This record gives sequence, structure tokens and C-alpha cells, in this order.
Amino acid sequence: MLKRTDYLTKTYGKPEGWTLGVYERECHGYQTARRVLSTMKKDDVVNEAKKANIRGRGGAGFPMGVKWSFMRPHPTKPAYLVINADEGEPGTHKDRTIMELNPHSVIEGCMIGCYGIGAHVAYIYVRDELHLSKARLWAAIAEAKAKGYLGARPFGVDYPLDVVVHTGGGAYICGEETSLLNSLEGRRGEPRLKPPFPAQAGAFGCPTTVNNLETIAAVPSAFHMGCEAFSKLSAIHHLNDGGVRLFGVNGHVKNPGVWECAVGLTLRELIYDLGGGVLGDKPLFAIIPGGSSTPVLRADELVHAPDEKSPLHPWHGQSVLDVPLGVDTFRGIGTMLGTCCATVLAEGTCPVAAMHNLMQFYRHESCGQCTPCREGSGWLLRITEKILDGRGTMEELDQLHDIANNIMGNTICAFGEGTAMPALGFLKKFRREFEAYVRGEKKKSTDGRLTVDHHDFVGG
Amino acid sequence: MPTFKLDGREIPFEPGESIIKAAWRQGIEIPHYCWHPGLSAPANCRMCLVEIKPAPNQRPVMLDIVELDRATGEYKPVQKPKLMPACQMPAVEGQEVFSDSSQHVKEARSHVQEFLLLNHPVDCPICDQAGECKLQDYWLEHQGTQKRMRDEPIHKPKGVVFGPTIVYDGERCVMCTRCIRFMEEVAKDPVLEMRERGNLNEIFVAEGRKLDGNYTFMVEHVCPVGALTTQDFRFKARVWFLRSAKSVCQGCATGCNAYLDYDPRYNKAHRYRPRDNEAVNKFWMCDPGMLSYKRAHEGRITEARVGQKSRATKEALAEVKKLLGDVAPEHVAFVLGAQASLEDNWSLLALASKMGSSRLYWTGAPAGASDDILISADKSSNQKGVLALAPNAKPYSVLLDDVRGGVVTHVVALGSATPAAGADDASTLGMLRALVAIAAHDDGALTAIAHVVLPACSWAEAPGTYVNKDGLRQLSDKALEPIGASKPGWEQVAAVAKQLGHDLGIKRVKEIRAAWLGTEAAAHASPAEQ
Ligand SMILES: Cc1cc2nc3c(=O)[nH]c(=O)nc-3n(C[C@H](O)[C@H](O)[C@H](O)COP(=O)(O)O)c2cc1C
Ligand code: SF4
Ligand code: SF4
Ligand code: FES
Repeated sequence: MLKRTDYLTKTYGKPEGWTLGVYERECHGYQTARRVLSTMKKDDVVNEAKKANIRGRGGAGFPMGVKWSFMRPHPTKPAYLVINADEGEPGTHKDRTIMELNPHSVIEGCMIGCYGIGAHVAYIYVRDELHLSKARLWAAIAEAKAKGYLGARPFGVDYPLDVVVHTGGGAYICGEETSLLNSLEGRRGEPRLKPPFPAQAGAFGCPTTVNNLETIAAVPSAFHMGCEAFSKLSAIHHLNDGGVRLFGVNGHVKNPGVWECAVGLTLRELIYDLGGGVLGDKPLFAIIPGGSSTPVLRADELVHAPDEKSPLHPWHGQSVLDVPLGVDTFRGIGTMLGTCCATVLAEGTCPVAAMHNLMQFYRHESCGQCTPCREGSGWLLRITEKILDGRGTMEELDQLHDIANNIMGNTICAFGEGTAMPALGFLKKFRREFEAYVRGEKKKSTDGRLTVDHHDFVGG
Repeated sequence: MPTFKLDGREIPFEPGESIIKAAWRQGIEIPHYCWHPGLSAPANCRMCLVEIKPAPNQRPVMLDIVELDRATGEYKPVQKPKLMPACQMPAVEGQEVFSDSSQHVKEARSHVQEFLLLNHPVDCPICDQAGECKLQDYWLEHQGTQKRMRDEPIHKPKGVVFGPTIVYDGERCVMCTRCIRFMEEVAKDPVLEMRERGNLNEIFVAEGRKLDGNYTFMVEHVCPVGALTTQDFRFKARVWFLRSAKSVCQGCATGCNAYLDYDPRYNKAHRYRPRDNEAVNKFWMCDPGMLSYKRAHEGRITEARVGQKSRATKEALAEVKKLLGDVAPEHVAFVLGAQASLEDNWSLLALASKMGSSRLYWTGAPAGASDDILISADKSSNQKGVLALAPNAKPYSVLLDDVRGGVVTHVVALGSATPAAGADDASTLGMLRALVAIAAHDDGALTAIAHVVLPACSWAEAPGTYVNKDGLRQLSDKALEPIGASKPGWEQVAAVAKQLGHDLGIKRVKEIRAAWLGTEAAAHASPAEQ
């Protein structure tokens, strides 16, 4: 169900929308933080947050309030809130818009989050290349400090708060939360072993909550209207997937972009109503629903959920394009919601070239710490590259799933799954195309692009 | 002690201990590269993955993978359980763990093994590690298939000189980070790090530094593969020709347990390797200690000497008789050697008592540098042992005083080195009417001045007992055959005794040990003795 909202995006497009004045005028700026800090107890904040059913916007979809509740005061160590604004997942471009166009929502969210988890400092870890984002956050922090919102006594309350922007280490893996913590501490950006989880020992060995930037930016609006009411804005509130969020679409659509909608939007609405339809009015071929790590969907796939108890049963027999974009609904159709930014592949896109593109990325970004990911990601690329170049054999094609199967679950961090899942996805859904390359019936487009246009489309 | 089950077998564990460590204590090896009992566990190699049966109230974590139906070319969705690294997971009371008995574990292991060899040069024929390489062992045990990846492997820096002792080969490296962790956690000098990313990763030495200090050999020792080699051992020997003797390092009073690796064909020692002993050196040795195997050959006394000229042992013994034959015993001093074994020292004490002399002194190596890791300032291997055998023995400085005062005119000494190698050392010893030294090495004033020198076996050629600074009595086995005319020190002492008309009543080491073990109650057993 398409229901556009503007809780988070009201300032988008407004002149100087990123400044404190606009934020206060348009978004009840900092009123919510003021109320929470002066009237609520810490534990009530966490309990309230749970009701919002904000599923983590970083990709894994973990409920935000539940994550906050894992924080236990440590006898000697401080607690930290760390905001993940590394936004490195290919096909993901939503956090950046918030930092550039509504940075104060992030600062206010950090204030409420810190208060709820017992932290006094929030670190925002921003991807290195996002210079405008950093500048806007810095300016917002300066404005909030000048007003005394951030500082020793925010709103006169004896609860010192500070927000610090940290420039990222310039690697995709630094978006993985424990790698991010290493990078924040000045170490090599390599994921840590879990346990201990960040809530037990995170930044500088202290209890830490890591939230995605969009997750925390949703907090002020949720608390402003009441978290339960916020959750109920969602069409799948009953699946504990609440509120509103940013939906992005990119790839072969006429109008790529990011929109704020109530949770419940479908892929079809995202692609056709918001994205303006497929580029060149071509038929839709496939969709990578939420960032490169989420398994690809074919445009012609149907939901198979004959079991009446399945949460997906209401959509049984329907196109996957009509399932609401939700954490559990998309898990149910064999993929993931991920970052909720969909990549659209139009008819004519070569799935072998598409998988090759992704495998290049993963081979390049693996931190190399653990064996299956370090070596497996490189091997997947080698074979895919050979197949794409017309040098691959059937034997090698048949090795691809075996390699991915043995990366899956055997690694230190979820990068391993993030590599194996899309590989298996492309293989499962487009095996015939891979075979056609091996048999020499298809060749890579001469300019090396993913899309094989009508005029340079070789073979079938 | 709580227990868990590994492949159906009950394994006791200390609370908090990992599955792999508990199994290791029972002598069961769960295959591993990155785990080392003396280092932290990064769980990066993934070779030790095991299947853990979920507790009754827990749902198993299942992963979606696929199977290929080769007939139809269709992939079929299947599931596999999530495996966990045995080096990271703490053992849990009553838990069931499947290692060799799980098909999923076998599959994971063979693939990890295949991944590790994917870009490996497989240059075993020219690699020093061959024969003691985990990659070879585990290929045989857990993979056994040919390389499926037939393309040119990734190339990385080779022959990188890390410092005066260590050379690195990036292509052979499995990125287990043991070397990094050793330098950080044990040597307390975090000079190694990883750089690059993915399958281009390599180990490097911090900018502006070399891999140096007193613990560089250990990085080669912890390296499970041939990526790190020592300048000292590189290209010198193939390990399958070597034999190992359980030895005790003679470098200082710590008495690190070691294997002395030697080539029996040439009666030549090639290297030391630490031998695990939780109570002494844990898993480690220092660089000077590691290099001290060379003393099996260097600086040795291999012939008897009379007046500093080479002579047959028989002639030298005849000279001893001439020098000591009818001297009043109160003028004869016996100098025990803190660098010699208890056996040798016991026999010298026995001679003193047969001759009716109670003038006992002791000598040893000059003191040196120490640290708070392994190295002791006392550079003698057996000072504690000597003082336990002869608590009244006087220090070497008193001997010099007594020589100057004319009280001592004749000396029989074990060893060559003296604690304070000063100039007046030699001139004082020069006042002696007779100095007989029984020693393996020519590294001090005693053998330089001696009227008669008798060649003794080094620690490598005779079994011997040494008491370390903590009072732990440790046995060092024989590795090499005696070099030149040397004989075990106690045999030379017995020969001297015979020349002087005394019978010490010992023909074998065993008899010496029986003699002191009978009288000494507080004997410490060490692993070497068991
Ligand atoms: C390889 C990898 C890359 C990731 N990159 C990001 C990222 O760029 N931004 C992000 O918010 N989360 C990223 N995540 C997810 C984080 O680990 C973490 O789950 C998230 O920041 C938690 O915030 P949330 O619960 O609010 O979603 C990544 C995870 C993995 C495994
Ligand atoms: S799975 Fe990949 S990215 Fe994650 S720790 Fe292992 S090597 Fe690094
Ligand atoms: S050099 Fe050896 S010890 Fe160091 S990471 Fe490589 S394989 Fe491991
Ligand atoms: S031994 Fe390397 S992962 Fe456990």
C-alpha cells in the first residue's frame, strides 16, 4: 500500500532545510528530546522505543528497542551510542539524504537514544567520501551546541550530551558494526568475534549500541507522536514491522530516488508509482530488493505460502512484486529486505554480467580475515569472470554453488553470507543464462556494461 | 570437573576453557591453524569448525544452501546447520559436540583446506617447512583431492627480510595472525601487522622497524606453515632426516625445555625447538637460547691438553697423577661447575670426599641481561643444582682469595668459565701449582690457564640433570655421539679418581642418580624426567 509520509523528509527540498531554524519550525525540532530528557525515566524510554517496532534500517532488521534494552549499566565503564553512517552497500543511498537534508533529526535521535541507553556521547561514523554529509552534520552539531541543546545541561537537564562525527576508514567492511568499532578506535577495520556483542563490550571495550543512521533519525518522530501510534502507521504493524521508512529505488528506472512512505509499500509501487517505471518502458527482468547482498528476485516469481499460518499466506499465489516490503515478509520469499533500496534490472540485463559485477565488489571488499570469505570471494569472481569472458567450463559453473555453500555460515561476519547469498541467488534463478555462456551461445556485451541493449544484444 | 561430549567421548574441562583446548588437554586434536594454546583465539582460519547440538530449549540455526541436480541442471534448496569454531566456543557442561563424526564438519574442513591451498604456490619441494607443515598434514587428513582451481594463483611478496633472523613469504602465508599475536601478546612488541585486504592480505613489519629483539625465532615457531623461515635454519636441512632429543636449554637458569634437532648421519645439531612445559617456558624460548644449540659444536674442547698442548687422554691422566699424586688434601680445592650436570658435579664431590678434602667452591658463567618474559640474569644452567648438592661450596671470589692467601695450591675444576672474567682472574690462577680442568667448552680462564685439560661431553652428548632457577630438576637427553675424545664429565672425574687410586664406584649414570635420589627427599619431577 502506497502511503507517502513526511515525518523525516519534511525538510527535504526546503530552502536551507538542513538548518536548525527550519528543523524547529517544520519538525517540532528538539521538542521531543526536551520532553524525553525532562520528563521520562531512562527505562521508560527503552520501553516506549520497543513499541515503535522500528526494525534496524542497516540491513539486518533487528528491532531497535530490543537492542537498546540489552544495554546494562557497567560499574566502571561509560556507555556509547554509535551511529552507523558508513552506507557502503551497493545500491543503497538513503542515509546520505538524511545527513544532507535533515541532519538535525539525527542529532535529536542521538540525544534520545543516548538518554535511553545511558550514554553521554554518540559517535556518528560517516563514510569517508560523503563530504557534504559530514559538513551538514558538523554544522548541525555546532548549531545544537550554540543553542545549548547539546552540552553540559541540555534543556537545563543535568545529563551532559555530546555528538561526534568520525570520518570512516574508507572500506565497505567498516560498515559491519564490529569492524566499524575497530575502525573508530583507530584499528584495522576487521570484524570482531561475537560474543562479546557490542552491548557487552563495544567501543573502547565499553557497552555500546550500534544503530543505523536512519534508525536513529526515525526516533524523534516516533517519540513525538507516541511510539505505538508510529508503529501503527505501518500496514504490517501486526508483523512487528512498524512506522515509516525511506524507500529507495535505483538501476533501470526512469526516476531513481528515495521516498518516505509508511511500511507496507510493495516493490511494484516502488518501481512503477515512485520510480516512474522501467527505463525505456522495457519489461521488468529482476530486482535486487535491498542492497547487493540480498538475493535477486525474478520479475515473474510468485509467492508460495500455502500454509495458512504463514505470515505470507495472504499473498499466496501472488507476484512477489505485490508483497509489502518488510523484514519478515521478504525473508519469507527467500530474500531479504536489507536496506530497503531496490535495484531494478530491465529486460536485456545480463544476469551473468550482473553477478560478475557483484562478485568483483565482494572480492575487493573482503577484509580477508577468515579463510572461506577471503579465498572463496576471489574464487567466485575468477570463475564468474571466466564464464563471462567465454572461457568458463561446465565443470567450473558447477563449482560455483559449492564454493558459495561453503562460505555460507562459515565466516566470522555476515559479509560471508552477503557474498554467498547473492551468488546462490543468481545461480538458482539464472542457471540457464550461465550455461548459455559456457556453451558459447551468449557473449558479453562489447562495452562491458550490465545491460545488453537491443542493438548490441548478442544471441538470445 | 564438568564434562562435555566430543564425538561421544566425555571430555573434562576447566570452566571457561574452549572446546579445542579441553580436547587438546586430552590429547585430541581438532584441526586448527590460527589457534595456539599460548595465544588469544581470533577464530580466523575456520579449520576447527564443529557442530554443536543445540540445547533442548534452543532451535538449531540452519542455513539455506543449494544442491545441484546434475541431471536436470536445477538447484534444489537444502539446509545445513551453522557450525561453530571450537577455538572460540567455551565448553559447556553436558553439551554434545560433533567433530570427526559430523558430515557437515568434514565438508567444511575439506573446503577450508581447499580454500587455503587455492592461491598457495605448493612449493613444498623447496620449502623448509615441508615435513612439518600443517597444510601438508591436513591436506592428507581432511582434503586429499587435487586442486580444482587451475589458473595462475595470486602472487605476493616473497623473500621479504623481516629482520636479522626472519624471512617472510606472503604466498605461503595462511593469514592466521599467530605471528602478529605472538609479538603483541608474548614478546610485548607489536611490530607485525596485516595490510591490504581480501586475498591480497600480507603480513608486514611496522614502518621504521625491523623484526628484532629477543623473541623473533618464536614467530617462525608459531607459524603453522612455511611462510616464516629463520635465516639460521633456512635451506640447511630437511626435517625428515632429523631426530629430536628432549633437551634443556643451557643458555640461562630458566632451563627452557627444548627439542634439540640433529642429523644422526653427520652427528650434527641443527636447531632448537621449544618443548611445551607449562611450569617453565610454556611454549616459548628466547633467541639467544634458540641459537645456543650451536654450542654443541662451537668452542668445544675435543682433545686433552697438557701445558696447553694437545695430548692423548692417557698422557693427560698420567700428568694429573704427577701433579696431584702426593699433595696434602687440605691444599686441594674442588671447583664445582654451575654449567655442568648434577651427575658431573656429584662425581666431583665424591672425589673430594674420597681424597678427604672439604675445600669446595663453585664457578659458572658471568651474569647477563634479563627480562620478565623468560631470560634470567644467571647464565648458568645449574647453579641451584650445585648449591643443593653442596650447600657449603664457596663462591669463586673466595677461591681467588684463598689462592692468593696460599691456602689453596691445587685445583680440580668442572668447567671453564668464571663468574667475573677479570684480568686478575688469570694472574691469580697462575699462582696455582696445579690446575686440572674438565670441561666441554673453551670459554673461560680455567681452561686457558689449566695445566691439564680433560675434554668433557657437552650437554648434547650426554644425558644430564639440571636444576633451574625455580628449583625444578630437569633431565636433558643425549642427542649426539661424543665429539672427539670427549667423555661425559663424570667419567673423566672417575678416571682422575682412578689415577689417584680411588674408586668412585660408578659405572653408569643410573648409579649416580640412585646415589643422590636415595638421600635427597625434596626431588621435583619434571615432564622431562617422566
Ligand atoms: C559487510 C557488512 C556491511 C554493513 N554495512 C552497513 C552500513 O554501511 N550501514 C549500516 O547501517 N549497517 C551496515 N551493516 C549492518 C551493521 O553491521 C549493523 O547491523 C547495523 O549497523 C545495525 O544498525 P540497525 O540495527 O539500526 O540496523 C553491515 C553489515 C555487514 C555484514
Ligand atoms: S567474512 Fe569476510 S569480511 Fe567478514 S571477517 Fe571474514 S573475511 Fe572479513
Ligand atoms: S606468517 Fe605464518 S604465522 Fe604469520 S599469519 Fe602467515 S601463516 Fe600465520
Ligand atoms: S583454529 Fe582457526 S578458527 Fe579455530
